[in-house]
Parts: sequence; C-alpha cells; structure tokens
Amino acid sequence: MKRLLLLICCLWPVQTSLAQDVLGDLRDQGLGFAQVTPGKRLQFPRDHGAHPDYRIEWWYLTANLTDREGRNWGLQWTLFRQALSPQAVEVGWHSNQLWMAHAAITTPQGHHHEQRFARGGIGQAGVSLSGRDGFFNAWMDDWELRSNSAALLPAKLKFTVDDREIILLLEATGELVANGVDGYSQKSAQGQASYYYSQPHIKARGFVNQGLDKTYLSGQGWLDREWSSQALAQNQQGWDWFSLHLNDGHKLMVYQLRHDDGEHWLSGNWIGPRGETRLLDRGAIDLDSTRVRPVAIGDNRVRSLPLEWQLALAEPQRRWRIKPLYDQQWMDTRIPYWEGVVLVEDEQGASAGIGYMELTGYE
Amino acid sequence: MNAGFFWILKALLSHYWRHPWQTLFLCVGLVAGVGLWSAVQIVNQHAETSYRQAQSLLGAQASYWIRSRRGQDIEQALYIDLRRAGFRQIFPLIELEVSTASGISISIIATDLLALPDDPYSGSDDTQDFSDSWLEMVQAPYRAWVPAVLAQELGLKPGERLRLRDGRLLPLALIQAREQQGRRVLLDIGAAQSLAPSDGFSYLAVGSIAPRAYQRLAASLPDHLELIENQQHIDLQDLTASLHSHLSAMSLLSFAVGLFIVFNAVRFSLWYRRATLLDLRLLGCASAQLVAAILAETLVWSLLGTALGFVLGVLLAQALLPGLGASLQSLYAATVEAELGLSWITLLQAWSITLLGLIWALSWPLYRQLRQSSFSAAGSEGLLRSESRTRRWLALTALLLALIAGLGYGRIASVTQGFFVLGLMLFAAAWLLPILLAAGLRVAAGLVPRESLTMRWMISDGWSQLPAYRSAMMALLLALTANLGVGTLVDSFRGAFVGWLELRQSADIYLRAPHLDLRQLESVPANASWLAASHHRIGVSTRWRGRPSLIRGGDTGAPDSLALPLSKWQGESAAAALQAWRERPDTVLVNEQVHFLAGVEPGERVALETDNGLRNYEVVGVFYDYGNPYFQFYLPEQVVASQWSHYYSRGIALWLKQDNNAAMQQAEQSLKALGAQAGDWISQAQIRKLSVGIFDRTFAITAAMNALTMIVAAIALLASLLAILQERLPQFAQWRALGLRQGEQLLLVAIPLLIFCAIAWVLSLPLGALLSWILIHKLNIISFGWSMPLVWKFAPSLQLAGIVLVICALTLSLVSFQWRRKMPRALAQLGETI
Repeated sequence: MKRLLLLICCLWPVQTSLAQDVLGDLRDQGLGFAQVTPGKRLQFPRDHGAHPDYRIEWWYLTANLTDREGRNWGLQWTLFRQALSPQAVEVGWHSNQLWMAHAAITTPQGHHHEQRFARGGIGQAGVSLSGRDGFFNAWMDDWELRSNSAALLPAKLKFTVDDREIILLLEATGELVANGVDGYSQKSAQGQASYYYSQPHIKARGFVNQGLDKTYLSGQGWLDREWSSQALAQNQQGWDWFSLHLNDGHKLMVYQLRHDDGEHWLSGNWIGPRGETRLLDRGAIDLDSTRVRPVAIGDNRVRSLPLEWQLALAEPQRRWRIKPLYDQQWMDTRIPYWEGVVLVEDEQGASAGIGYMELTGYE
Repeated sequence: MNAGFFWILKALLSHYWRHPWQTLFLCVGLVAGVGLWSAVQIVNQHAETSYRQAQSLLGAQASYWIRSRRGQDIEQALYIDLRRAGFRQIFPLIELEVSTASGISISIIATDLLALPDDPYSGSDDTQDFSDSWLEMVQAPYRAWVPAVLAQELGLKPGERLRLRDGRLLPLALIQAREQQGRRVLLDIGAAQSLAPSDGFSYLAVGSIAPRAYQRLAASLPDHLELIENQQHIDLQDLTASLHSHLSAMSLLSFAVGLFIVFNAVRFSLWYRRATLLDLRLLGCASAQLVAAILAETLVWSLLGTALGFVLGVLLAQALLPGLGASLQSLYAATVEAELGLSWITLLQAWSITLLGLIWALSWPLYRQLRQSSFSAAGSEGLLRSESRTRRWLALTALLLALIAGLGYGRIASVTQGFFVLGLMLFAAAWLLPILLAAGLRVAAGLVPRESLTMRWMISDGWSQLPAYRSAMMALLLALTANLGVGTLVDSFRGAFVGWLELRQSADIYLRAPHLDLRQLESVPANASWLAASHHRIGVSTRWRGRPSLIRGGDTGAPDSLALPLSKWQGESAAAALQAWRERPDTVLVNEQVHFLAGVEPGERVALETDNGLRNYEVVGVFYDYGNPYFQFYLPEQVVASQWSHYYSRGIALWLKQDNNAAMQQAEQSLKALGAQAGDWISQAQIRKLSVGIFDRTFAITAAMNALTMIVAAIALLASLLAILQERLPQFAQWRALGLRQGEQLLLVAIPLLIFCAIAWVLSLPLGALLSWILIHKLNIISFGWSMPLVWKFAPSLQLAGIVLVICALTLSLVSFQWRRKMPRALAQLGETI
C-alpha cells in the first residue's frame, strides 16, 4: 500500500532540475541496480533486512487505534532506504546508502508529523537482522522498531513526533501476505515492479506520552515491506493507495497508479481473516473519487485532493465509501503527500471498517 | 515650497553646471570620505554580526561543545550512542589545518550535513535543503565547498582539485559555502577522515537543547569528555573590540581627510557665488531664504555623496574583507562570513555624518558670505585680510586642542579615549598648519635675494594661493602623519615580532600528533643521532577573569624555556627571574596580556583554579606573547600535570643536532617510523613563514587604508590647484599677454606649492613620531597588551617626500594641460570682463 509512497524516498535526492516533477527519479531506469524479476521466492527472515543492491526500500507501519474513550487515533512510522549509486557500499562514512524516516500521528485534536534523514554505514540508521542481540531492528537515531527475534513481530515500536513520545507493542495475529504474485508486484504494463509483502494482521497496543498526559491506545496495525529499483513508469504521475481493516475480519489493499495517458494501473489484494490472499487485477477493482476538497498544505496554500472515494470489487461483490477521518492529514515533508486515517462505510452508510489512505503526485 | 525658493535654488545650483571641476571635487571628497568610512564600518559590522552568529555553526545552532578534556579526538561510537539516545541536536565536526602545495595555510571544517539539526529559530528548514550538491557532498568522491573569496585567493576554479603540501588532493571544488563557514573549506566527514590523522571527531556541537535534556546529556557523557557552553560570541566581541576600534579610528581619519576636500570645495563654491548671492539679496531674497536654499543644496549633496560613497564603501569592504577575515581567523579563530552583509543602519549613519560634516564645512563660510555680501562684494584684499584672521583663529583653536590633548594624554584608560586624544592632537596640528604655512612663506621671502625679482614675485603670489591650499595642505598633513605614524607602528611591531619569533620558536621541528606517545621519541636510542633536544609541552584551557586563558606546562630546562624573552621581571635580572621560576614550584610566568590587560605586576600573586581548588602563584616574570589574544600562564610541566588532571599535549618541539637537510630528512624518517604522518609536523622555517604571513596579512588592511588616505590627499591637492587655475585664469591670461612664458607661469604655481608641501612634510615628521609613540606605548598596550620598542626609521619619511613630489608633479602636469587648453579662450576674453 502506502508503500509506494515510499518511493518517494527516491524522490528525496531529487534532482533540482526535476523539481517540477518530483516523481521523476522514480521513473529512472535504475540501471546498474539489482532488478526485480518474477519468480523469485521471498525468504524470511532474510528479506526482512535491507537489500542495498536495490535502489529503494521501506519498512512501513500504520496503525488504526482507539483511546479509552473510543476516539480514533492513527500512527504512521516509516523507514526508507535509498542507494545513491549501484554497487552497495554498506559500511563506513563512504556508504552510499541514505536513510529517511517519517512519523505521523493523527489525534482527536489534529495531525502532526516529523521527518528525519541519516546516512548509512555509521550506525546512525539502518536495519539489522543480527544486531547486538541478534534480533530484527530498524532504527534511525532514537526511533526504532525492535523485534525480540529475527522475525518482524512481535516488536516494540518507539518513536517521537515533536514532543510526543509513542510506544507501541505489535503482535502478529496472522501470517505474512505476499502481494502481487508471490511477492512480485507489478506496477505497470511496461514491467515496472517491486518485491512487496505485508503483515496486515497486527494487534497493536501502547501509549502516547505528551508532557504529563499519557493516552493508552489499542487497535490494529499494518506493516508493509517493499523494495525495488524502478517503481514508476514514464507515464505514471502518482498513486492512490488504500489499506483497509474491514469489520468482518477481511483486509483489503488497493492501489491505483495514475497514468497521464490512458487507463490507470489498478491492483490489490483481498485478504481473508486467516491470511489467505487473492490478487485483484484491474478488471476486478472499481475505484472512483467522489469528492475533491481543498487541503491546507502550509505557507497559506491549499491543494484540491480527492478525499472521498467509492470502491467496489467484482468478487466478492462489495461496495464501500471511503472518507478521511480528518481532511487535514497532509504530510508537509520534503516530498509532500497526503496520508491519514480513513473511515470505511458500506452502501447503507454504516461503518464497515477503518484504514489508511495515501495520495501522492497531486500538483 | 514656493516658486521663489525653487528659483533661488536653481540659481545657486547653476554654479555646479558652470564649474564641473568643482562639482567633481565636491563629489570626490564626499564619496572618498563616505566610502572609506563606510567600508570600515561595513566590515566591522559584518564581523560583529558574524560574532553574534558564533552561536551557530554551519547554519545550525551550536549552544554547547563536547570536547575531550585531553585534546584528543572523540570516538565515532560515542557520537552514535548519543544520537541513539535521542540527542539529535548533536553533530560531529572535524577541524584541520592544512597547507596547500603553494604553502598557503587553509582551514578545513568537516561535518555530516545530514546530521545538522534544524534551527528552530530560523523558521526555515534550510539545514535540510537536499539538492544535488548535498548528495554529491555526502558520498564518494565527495566535493569540497570553497567560499568564493577563498577560491579566488587560491586561484581555484569550480571542478578543480586543490593539491596539498603532502601531495594529497582535496575533492572536486564547488564554489559555495554555508553560513558561518567563513574562509574554511567544508568537507564531508567521509572526505575529511582521509586527511585527518585519526578516525575520530575534533569535537561535537550541541544545538538548541532543553534544560532537562542538557542535564541528561551532561550525566551521560563519559568522564574524559566535557560539555562546554559556547561563549564564542561573547569572547569574540570582547577580544576583537580593540581591533575594530583601531579600524574605526582609521576610517574616521579617512573621513576627516575627505572632509577637508569637501570643506575646500564648499568654501570655493560659496566664494564663486558671492556675486550671485549678492544679486539675489539685492533682488529681495531674505537671508533665511538663501540659507534654506543652501541647506537644501547641502541635503542634495549629502544624499548624492552618501549614495555614491556607500557604493564605493561596499566595493572597498569587499576588497578589505578577505584580508581581515584571514587575520581574524588566524588570531582569534573567529569565523567571518565570506559574503558581505549590509545594514540600513550603516547607510543611515553614513548619511548623517555626511550631512553633519557638510553643514559643519558650510556653516562658517556661509555665515561670512552672507554677512559680507550684504555690505560689500569683498575683493581679494578683503579676502586676504579675513584669511589672516582665520589663520590666527585656527592657530588659537589648535593650541587649545593641543592643550586638551596634552591634559588628556595622562588619563588615557581606554582605546576610545586614546583615539580621542589622538584625534585632538591631529586636528590641533592640522589647524596650526595655515599659520605655519604663512610663516614659511614669510621666511622664504626673506631668504630670496632682493635682486631676484621673479622669484620674489613668485613667492609673494603664494599669499593669494594660500587660502586655496589651506584645506588641501591640512589633508596632506593628516595623510602624511597617519602614514608615518602607522607605518612606524607596523615596522616596529614587525621587527619586534620577528625577533621574538626567533627566540620563541627556536626549535627546528614542531610535532603535534595527539594520537602518538611523544615521549617515545626521546627514548628511542636511534634518534640520538639527530635529536639534540626536545621540549614536550602540555596545556589546560581555562577561563581567568572571564577571558579564555591557557595554562601551559613546559620543561623549564628546554632551550626555548631558558631563552624565554621577558619584558618585565621580579628581582635583579631576567635570568634570575627565570631561575626562580625553574626552582620554585609556586612561581609562574605570565604573558604581557596578564600584565597589561589584567594589571598584574611581577611580584604579585595570581590565583588559578586547579583540580584542588584555587592556588596562588607568584608572578616572577612577564613574557612577550605577540599575536595572542588570550591570557597565558606558564608553569613547569610537573606542576601542571599534578594540579590539572585533564591537561592535554600541545606537541613537542625538536632541536636537530645539525642544521642541514640531511638531518631534517633523518628526523622526518624517524617521525614517520614512529607513526606520524606528513602534516603532523611543521618545520621552523614553515612556522615562521606562516606566522609572519599572518602578521603581514593582518596589517595589509592598514597599508591599504594608508594608501587610500594618501590618494584622497592627492585629490585634495589637485582640487586646490584646479581651483586656483579657475579663479586666477583671467589674471594669468593678462600676465601671459604681458609676456610671461608658460614655464614661468607653472613655476608661479609650483614654487608656493612646493614650499607648502615641504612645510607639511616637515611638520609630519614629529607628528608621525608622536602618533606612533602614542599608538605603540598607549593604544597597543591598552588594546592588545603587547609592548615593543619604537623603531624610528628615516627611509619611510623620505619615501613619503618622494610620493609628495610625484603627486605635485602629477597635479602640476594636469594643471598645465588644463591651462594650455583654456589659455587661448582666456586670452581672447581679455578686456571683456574682469
């Protein structure tokens, strides 16, 4: 899902000349980097770790939580890796790996976010499967997602957003899900693709500390892992991404890569409560924006974004309406985008679930 | 404003159209004065702004430093641990001094741009401005960001690589810089590590930090590191205050010299318009209206002069800044931004002093003009009479000023007071000059034999030229005096400095390698073949009476300790004082700064904060310490080591048995065998070259200001000569018609001019000596705490005489060219009007 968003990470070393088209780097051919090919089997725990030969990669966690008064909260924590040149140099100051991290919190009062950057090779940021304790650990400075084994979960996520300290215990309640075809996720008809797997079944509980206030939260999380060397096709301008926890126990991941010519690229996975998954192709998904509203994006500017959507699947034959919990969940980061908590309603307007939505590439 | 006023103004201003030379000189005077003053003002303010920004480093807040107490590097693992503990405001720095292949010393600063904290106060996220250049910067093969001024100085073009003395190359140069980079080359840590002797950092900087986080940080630092508040902005303002006062004083002098031209020009412009003024009064214009019109004219001139002068000032400041920046960095480790910042306040100040200067220049002549024009259009006779009155008044005022200066001399306690007395003295001399010039003419007339009629005529014509020269000669006197006085100061200082360097830096090699055990060097038997003596020095940085200070520990028997030059001592002789210092552990040598700036006399005791509390040491001697802005206390090494546990090595000085290349090479090989790298040591010749280079660069600005003052004085002279030409042209034409030859005519102007210049030059000799005396024995000591003997040389004054002759020759030839051009018309107009 939002994982793509991550792609943005590639954007971050964006060429000045491409400033008008921040996604330009994503369309780069990625020559010299390892390429994503079909038929490769994901291996764990190895693939939880970094793939420095690939250009871009991320560890992406979102969580839909409620406090003790039943109010909705949302958390996002992401670690992005980018190789600045082919032939990975992993250790020392000469490392060509750069790291970026995003964190965001949606509270009943509003939305807050933070971003960080660090170079690889010196221990300030990274992902390790064999750290001091031999466990999985993804970190930047004092932000970290630390497991108590080589597996991704169970893990403890610790990060801050401004003066809020967030601690979340994450526990898997189902199996990992390989998206696309056995983890090979195609992103365009021209062959752009990524390796992509998710853990959509996460029980999350923890708290947010702000000064003397401590708020206990619990709910469900979604962790995405994705890596690639070329993520967008030349004619793709951005994407709309959804990861939804449905009340009936199903999970739904759907994304749309918007083409500036012709039909958009649509794909997704329909995931059962026990982790069984089915690839959804373009013909199986009907995704339309139903309302565009202005969102403040800082510096007194606003941008019109498709904040409300209608999503229908052919099989099972279901239809939902998707609305943001708050319109203002703009990530004013170096590569700005909208990402936040969304509410899912059925055709009758009754609550059918909750999730996260990501909208990128809107100018 | 009514139409009448407009017409009055127009009538008055028409003068400037008719007399473009007058206009030009008024402009030149204003522009030169304002330009020189504002150049220094801009540079000073720029430096002060940079000092205030010393709270930041490379665009990021730096409130504290984390440094090793022993001067060692900080390990990378410790930095990462601190970041992982959430101290994101900490960023690493490496600072290095390297020499280029052509022997220029440059400073390198390296950091991790990606680790710089956001400045919460800047309101921008500019510290994380990732662009191509950032990405090139942080990964191999890296880039070197070189400020434009430094690149220009090094002759470095974008994309070139700077070669160092040891043959290594810096990464490809990009001509750009971050805030507070100053004249340093910025590298990524990754690139700098290949130049540095160790893999660690020189220190860590701590950005804005909340009190609780600060406490947590202080508690989590290992014992060998200390958290020091960044007081650089206060220290720098304090330490450099004197230097900037000196510069300000010089700029005010330049302004004064400029003002003399203006005074001359304004006076003449009124003199020429006396007929117009009279006509206007006869036409019924009130005095008040005329005064108002002239004030309006003054306002216009002040605006024009300020605007153009400020532009000149900015250009000059740009030219002066690199030298000053280099000096500040060498002397005070002060980083001055390479790019100039301008302020509206400087512009407003420039305008106000210009306006005040103009009004001051105008008030007396205007008053006289208005009084005279009302009853008579005073002819030259009246003018001469009033000139003699003016000379007497000026001389009386001069005596009064001199008296005040004399009384004030004994009470000079601050730099500002010192310059005030200096100013009084200079103006007294300048105002005394006209009466001396008149006396000179009288004496010259007396010396000419009675029968030499032409000669007598030429000298007596000097009387009618004297008023025109008055201000120009004053300007010339000031310029000559300043040149001589400041030149003598610099010469004396240079002599003292070079002599002192020879004694102080007598070792052949200076080795500084914190990662090496230097004592090993002395114990390796093989080294005995070339090593005659060595001196391992240690130090502790501390603060004493609020100023950064250094406690040095050394071997009391080392060759340089035995020959330490003392300026004052307790007891019979310097040798006895040094012996007492060697033998008694409760004695200390202090530098002149402690003596002069903190007022500590030999025989007194100073209390130093040791690990075991305050301890008193008796001052037995005061040593010269030129170029050092800090207090220094010199104790035997074992005393420092026993009282301060956190001392650090300040390197080792080595004396070779033989003073030849072979011995040097043998020494270098031994050092390499010990693990030292090229760049860890520096030879005596190099260090002296470097020190003298820093000295010369520091005074380059002085030389530049001196030259500019001289140029302004030359322009004043030219202006006066042209004014004389303008005024006397009809008369000269008459004489020409009566048969005077062109050469004789030129002599008519040249002889009085030479007499006047000679008088100004002679007067400048004692004045220059007095000026340098006050600068050396009063101001330098108050400002820097450096004492030195005054060395008077005659050669510079002869050189100045030569320069004055050249200026005279140049202006005379310009004037003769003008004459040739204008004479035919003046001859044709003979008889029309006189």
